[in-house]
Amino acid sequence: MSNALPLLVTLPVAAAVLPPVLARRFDGVGWPIAAAASVAQVALAAWVAWSVAAEGPMRLVVGGLPATIGIELAADRLSVAFLLLVALAGLWGLAYTRRGGPRSATGYTLYLLLLAGLTGICLTRDVFNLYVFLEVSGLSAYALVAIGDDADAAPAALHYLLVGTVGASLYLLGIGYLYLGTGTLNMAALAEQLRTVGYDGRLATAAFGLIVVGLGVKVALFPVHTWKPDAYRAAPAGITAVLAALVSTVAAYALLRLLLSVFTPAFFAANPVLAGALEAAAVVSIVAGTLLALLQDDVRRMLAYSSVSQFGIAVGGFALGTRLGLVGGAVHLLGHAVMKSGAFAATGVVEAAYDASTVDEFAGAAERVPVTSGAFAVLAFGLVGLPPLVGFFGKWYVALASVRAGSWVLAAAVLASTALSLTYFARVVQRLYFERRDGDGRADPSAASPGMVASGVLAALVALGLGLASATLVDLLLPAIGGGLP
Amino acid sequence: MGTAVTAGALGWGPYVLAVGLVGLGLFVLVDDDNLVKKVVGLNLFQTGIYLFYVAGAFRVGGRSPLTVDPGGGPYVNPLPHVLVLTAIVVGVSVTALAAALVVRIHDEQGTVRASELRSAGVGDRE
Amino acid sequence: MSGDRQDDVAGTGVVLSGIDSPVVTATVRLVTPFVLTFGLFTAFHGTSSVGGGFQGGVVVAASIVLVLFSFGLDRTLRWLDTTAMTVLAVGGVLVFAGVAVAAIGFGGPYLDLSAYPVPKAVVYGVELIELGIGATVATAIVAMVVEVGRWGRR
Repeated sequence: MSNALPLLVTLPVAAAVLPPVLARRFDGVGWPIAAAASVAQVALAAWVAWSVAAEGPMRLVVGGLPATIGIELAADRLSVAFLLLVALAGLWGLAYTRRGGPRSATGYTLYLLLLAGLTGICLTRDVFNLYVFLEVSGLSAYALVAIGDDADAAPAALHYLLVGTVGASLYLLGIGYLYLGTGTLNMAALAEQLRTVGYDGRLATAAFGLIVVGLGVKVALFPVHTWKPDAYRAAPAGITAVLAALVSTVAAYALLRLLLSVFTPAFFAANPVLAGALEAAAVVSIVAGTLLALLQDDVRRMLAYSSVSQFGIAVGGFALGTRLGLVGGAVHLLGHAVMKSGAFAATGVVEAAYDASTVDEFAGAAERVPVTSGAFAVLAFGLVGLPPLVGFFGKWYVALASVRAGSWVLAAAVLASTALSLTYFARVVQRLYFERRDGDGRADPSAASPGMVASGVLAALVALGLGLASATLVDLLLPAIGGGLP
Repeated sequence: MGTAVTAGALGWGPYVLAVGLVGLGLFVLVDDDNLVKKVVGLNLFQTGIYLFYVAGAFRVGGRSPLTVDPGGGPYVNPLPHVLVLTAIVVGVSVTALAAALVVRIHDEQGTVRASELRSAGVGDRE
Repeated sequence: MSGDRQDDVAGTGVVLSGIDSPVVTATVRLVTPFVLTFGLFTAFHGTSSVGGGFQGGVVVAASIVLVLFSFGLDRTLRWLDTTAMTVLAVGGVLVFAGVAVAAIGFGGPYLDLSAYPVPKAVVYGVELIELGIGATVATAIVAMVVEVGRWGRR
């Protein structure tokens, strides 16, 4: 029943509007509504996933209109992977925010709207519809960053808003070029029209540039990454974990979807200069992110810069244009989402229970919060890329793809960033386990609820499981990449 | 439904103006010290993009695409207008959120100037 | 904003006199019903001419904000029911979602209004949706202005 696709977006939206009105009568109504909606969302997403895996891609045009003039929603294996990520991460985050996150009803309204927007991005096959969902999720993210009590929260949110809106508007301009040249907004129809119009004309290349820069802002590639460290530092820990898991990941998925279904690898074949430029941008992100992470004292900022470099690896995989590069980038995105969000959740627990935010303040935390420290250590090594965690496999596929395609610079960058990231992650783990610090500050072990601790542990376990199953994951995703497109 | 961008009676004027607005808006956004003006710059930037869409919808000798008007003939393309409407709605929401954040920053820090915020050690730490 | 008391706007030291302007208040009293009607008109005529739910909602919100500016926040909040506004905002979204999802119950794909067994279902369905959108937009904009206005006087 392909009507499940729009229902996946309608459900969180309908649930999102309930807290403000119910909060006038009942107290603390936000979390239960969000939890119920998330559980239903996971169930529906799992059903769609099973149906796509068993019977093939699902599609629906809203309102029953013909596809070229209507809004098409479709789920193939690639979309479904990210759809599940959004639904599961949405539910997972609630385990943390029960104690550690926003208390207000409006906070959970924003949370559900964020999930709705992200789900929409995963499912839509209309480029303008993607812009709308990009902005819905973006606005929710900006407001969620501001929801903390930090003095930094509002300036960080405003910075994120200004930069993010410029990015989304550049994407809008890019699809304006595509529409004026081809007359359609549907991705499949655009792919056909672009083939006719020609991949090397100014229209296609200008549109490509604008779209890549626009989505690059949302993915936080260097040099438009500046919003990420401030936003991740200022938001409440549970929110940062969910944002880290989802926002940039789904934006990178949107980039992948456009590269795959609108521009197609034939575009890269016709424009080697542009492919090279995208690869160069990815390499710069990888290197700059790693170097900047080395310089950080604050753990959250360090993790944010690490994200800049990891997304550079994923986009580098996309820029290669080969099947292995595309699927490697996708696997890396999924793995990174799990590991980075778990790392932020663990960091949040250490911050709350041990009153620590800089690397030095983390010293000796393993005595007070042993389970969380263990989870953090596992996730840190996963982010560095040690097998059998999934972080290794994502980087491995991208590096392998770049070697096969002859892109030695990209392969070297991946290896170099892996080695350097070992430095800054090992530094934190060493402080956790092998050093002490004087005084406890305002350490409050009861500030960390079992749910908060469990979320970090769960992420570590999922990272391990995904790593062990990575070959299966690649086999599941490959049919959706190159060849059978819905 | 292929369309070609026609220069039309207005020539390249609207497109040049659109690009000009985009550039002007970006400049104000990046360069001005006052946060309120940055938000205004963002709006200018977005307006340039709307103008680009609307200019692309124009047809030489086209009539307004209203079903209540009698007579046929070439119509101006209504789809970009619909897209611009949606984009305006998004722009309104973004501006409202930005304004609320600026008011909150003023409440908390006593200033809306980015340079004063930076020297107070708040935000923008690069 | 003119109002019925002294007002140090946002702590800036600017004090507004508390005297109403009779021209402004009389004009607003006269004009507001027409503007509200025009807003509804615009909301319903989206499909056949210029207009639509968002535009109509903004016109309605503009008229209420006009009242807010000319009569002051306190006097406007005496009759502006924030609970009703929240219910309207929520209701608007749920109406749209309901119309779209109920189409599935009648056998068509999502949001296929022709699936309803009602004569001229597409026309009525679209008008219902526009009403919902207009309600949400109008109440949201008024709520934003009221909220920022409340902050301004802390």
